[in-house]
Amino acid sequence: MTPQVILRSAAPQELRYDKREAARYLGCRTNTPALDDGGLFRLVASQLQRAVSAKACYAVLPVRITGTRVDFGAFSLDSSDLAKNLAGCNAAILFAATLGAGADRCILTYKKTLPSRAMLLDAVASSMIECWCDDLQAELTAGKESCPRFSPGYGDVPLTVQREVLSLLDAQRRLGITLSDTCFMTPTKSVTAFIGLKGEGTA
Amino acid sequence: MTIRERLQRCRVYFDGGMGSLLQKEGLQSGELPETWNLTHPDVLQNIHLAYMNAGSNVITSNTFGANCLKFDNLDAIIRAAYANLAAAKAQFAGDRDSVYFAFDVGPLGKMLEPLGDFPFERAVETFAESIRIADGCGFDLILIETMSDLYETKAAVLAAKENSRLPIIVTNAYDETAHLLTGADVPAVVATLEGLGVDALGVNCSLGPHQMLPIAKQYLTWASKPVVINPNAGIPHVADGKTLYDVDAAEFSDVMQEIAALGVHGLGGCCGTTPAYIAALVKKTASLPFVPPEEKHRTLVTSYTHAVEIGKEKIVIGERINPTGKPRLKAALRENDLGYLIREGLSQQEHGAHILDVNVGLGEIDETAMLTAAVKELQSVLDLPLQIDTVRPAALERAMRIYNGKPLINSVNAKRESMDAVFPLVKKYGGAVIALTIGDDGIPPTAAGRVALAKKIIDEAARCGIDKKDIVVDALCMTVSADDCSARITLDAVRQIKALGVNTCLGVSNVSFALPERPQINAAFLAMALEAGLDCAILNPNSDVMMGAFYSFAMLNGDDPRCQQYIDFATAHRPQPQEAAVQHTLPALSYAILKGLEADAEKAAKTLLQTTPPLTIINEQIIPALNRVGEQFENKELFLPQLLMSAEAANAAFSVVSTQIDVSGEKKDKILLATVQGDIHDIGKNIVKVLLQSYGFDVIDLGKDVPPQAVLAAAKEHGVRLVGLSALMTTTLDAMQETADLLHREYPAATVIVGGAVLTKRYADAIGAAYAKDAMETVQFAKRFFEKD
Repeated sequence: MTPQVILRSAAPQELRYDKREAARYLGCRTNTPALDDGGLFRLVASQLQRAVSAKACYAVLPVRITGTRVDFGAFSLDSSDLAKNLAGCNAAILFAATLGAGADRCILTYKKTLPSRAMLLDAVASSMIECWCDDLQAELTAGKESCPRFSPGYGDVPLTVQREVLSLLDAQRRLGITLSDTCFMTPTKSVTAFIGLKGEGTA
Repeated sequence: MTIRERLQRCRVYFDGGMGSLLQKEGLQSGELPETWNLTHPDVLQNIHLAYMNAGSNVITSNTFGANCLKFDNLDAIIRAAYANLAAAKAQFAGDRDSVYFAFDVGPLGKMLEPLGDFPFERAVETFAESIRIADGCGFDLILIETMSDLYETKAAVLAAKENSRLPIIVTNAYDETAHLLTGADVPAVVATLEGLGVDALGVNCSLGPHQMLPIAKQYLTWASKPVVINPNAGIPHVADGKTLYDVDAAEFSDVMQEIAALGVHGLGGCCGTTPAYIAALVKKTASLPFVPPEEKHRTLVTSYTHAVEIGKEKIVIGERINPTGKPRLKAALRENDLGYLIREGLSQQEHGAHILDVNVGLGEIDETAMLTAAVKELQSVLDLPLQIDTVRPAALERAMRIYNGKPLINSVNAKRESMDAVFPLVKKYGGAVIALTIGDDGIPPTAAGRVALAKKIIDEAARCGIDKKDIVVDALCMTVSADDCSARITLDAVRQIKALGVNTCLGVSNVSFALPERPQINAAFLAMALEAGLDCAILNPNSDVMMGAFYSFAMLNGDDPRCQQYIDFATAHRPQPQEAAVQHTLPALSYAILKGLEADAEKAAKTLLQTTPPLTIINEQIIPALNRVGEQFENKELFLPQLLMSAEAANAAFSVVSTQIDVSGEKKDKILLATVQGDIHDIGKNIVKVLLQSYGFDVIDLGKDVPPQAVLAAAKEHGVRLVGLSALMTTTLDAMQETADLLHREYPAATVIVGGAVLTKRYADAIGAAYAKDAMETVQFAKRFFEKD
């Protein structure tokens, strides 16, 4: 059976970012006085909000763990790290989220004209997609016992798992996420992840 | 009746979903549905037959993902798909003449360059491989569907046109804001596809019938070809905290009845719909009157996002990307500095241009290669339609082919060889074309003569199947200093040509050639020409006088509601009261670099050049200022973007100063940079690049995900002695080592320096490379390295 996939989108003004996190991506200490930047972060964030089209989709999958084998019904994989992460879970939310091609296009424009702005945009966009994932996760797991989210590429889970994940969620059609031969996602500001749930039925 | 005829004469029904039906029959998640053509022919035949019985006319083959990226046995898969259709039709008891087989083409699952890594021509070739097989099978049409990227859609249509003569129907997948996932709106898609000559077009997938209804309305407003609407059975989504699921057949067909009543020509379903949905839809719409498609006569050119309509509001075509009389642009073209073209383009966009002319004709460069590169580069970041400006048909064809949308073409004229060269390209790739009233005897001296040539071009275009909506006539503007009446003649010609029902354009600045105070003449002439019926003015949007005349005309002509556009323009250009000069003791240039003020640095460098030798400026101001910024960064007093902004300011100053240095005597030290294969994180490498450039090094940047062989080839080609490699991820360290080894083995003259988050001095030592912990250290290393010479 193919699980029911639910679609989500976010209005640009709902998207927040974490300035300290963005600064960290830029290689700054998070307590540096340079963070008092005269509104530069705010400026690039509003530029991004005009460019992005945030979409996500998710499905709830059953989980069965046997040793290092993690079986989601629709597909399974071998990973001791994921098995550890999902230990004690009988279900998991599998989700994909993206800021869309507009964010990449915005960053690309500045890469070719004003690289310092491109770096800022890149860092703020990375923080923005992570923050949105945090928000989605909080909402989807509200009132449930859940695990930290775990993305392909973490620990011993190879990036190639993206193929199964995106195909199961039909994320190319739904969100426009495609994979390169080396399993990188485009648009680049995209995230996929498992969130383990404890004591769940999988309706 | 062929499908082309049927679409003009009566409503055509498409079939519905396939995937969900196959899943019901046992298709596993992850299993490729197309394999069932061979393994479960009976299941496929039953589904096809059920759709025929439901009333579908167009039955789609199970080949959505049948391409060579996914299948080795493509030939067998496609032939089996056809055989299943034929077998179903043999069992069909209804009217077999009303059944048409569509070869289904879905997206490749790859993002095309520049956002992704898949080249446009590879996409064309991948689609072509499937279409060549299908063309030999006996299909009635090709259905290109679920395309969410305009560029990929164009690749598929070109592949279909070049490898088959079958009718082509294209349906795109929109999001709820009525845009494709890569940004195109409905007019952009419609104009591009009709330019390419598809037989019908429309919408499928992603949305349910409710959300698709407003998009169907838009299609009917813009499209001259039949419109096809194939929605999903709703979309599972969350709204107001409630999860909403599929719409059922009754609700689906109710909404489809509304959609049919709008005048849509083809109706069917997509994901989640079944023969029951189609049967209900046919039942509810069969008796509705059919409205044949009608020609809309709208002149549209597009970028990858939106269309610009010519003949409605007045249009400014920016003329700045043209090397004639522009030494800085000439130099940029010779140095392959496409960033300069982008900045020229962006600045014209900021100043109000609607379309950008792109001319890179320069005696000593390969125009075909340069024009293609320039168009690719500009359309990767600029969302204005481009006007491709060249006299070389080969260059024109390449540029039109890779253009992401429907371009304006500059130009064709009334000479036989020009029309023979240009019209077939317009017919094949789509475009609106500027028609110069030049004949075998040159430019006629009278308005009547130019009108006659305009008619000749329009007639010949019609013979080639090009509607006059896609001809924009340029009646040519001659200098008034050579002939008192020349401006008058041009204006008369514009008026009469406009009366032929075609749109017009003019390059207006010629009129003042050889006269003093040209801008005021040009502005007066522009206003006169617009009043005479000029639709598009080719001018310099960065000229306040010209744009002032343009906006004033629009306002006085009643085209500017509440004078808003004019007021915005005028207030933006009012001289600002000078801010009290910032008190600082530093020289202006050093200050501008320290504070990262690009424009100020450029201005300060220009002023300094009047009194100071260029090398002194570099050594006593630019470099010390940069060094100071570098120190502050290392002391963590500045953060990285600030360092980069200073580097950019230094670059701006440097490029001003370097125009005064005798380049023949001065050889800049070359450094090659690349992010290694498998790694797409290039922020670090880009920082290093900007910083190196600001210190005056000549940086050759190969980009990200670069194969070892490409690094080697470029290093050899440019005779580079220092190669910088970067990597962010542990997984790409192997590629780093491989690249370093290859260089050591094949090109030992090069020294390798590596950097990136996961690298250490120890690792660098192990692969025989130097190590830099950050961009500043790379600069220090490079300075020492080249000083040793």
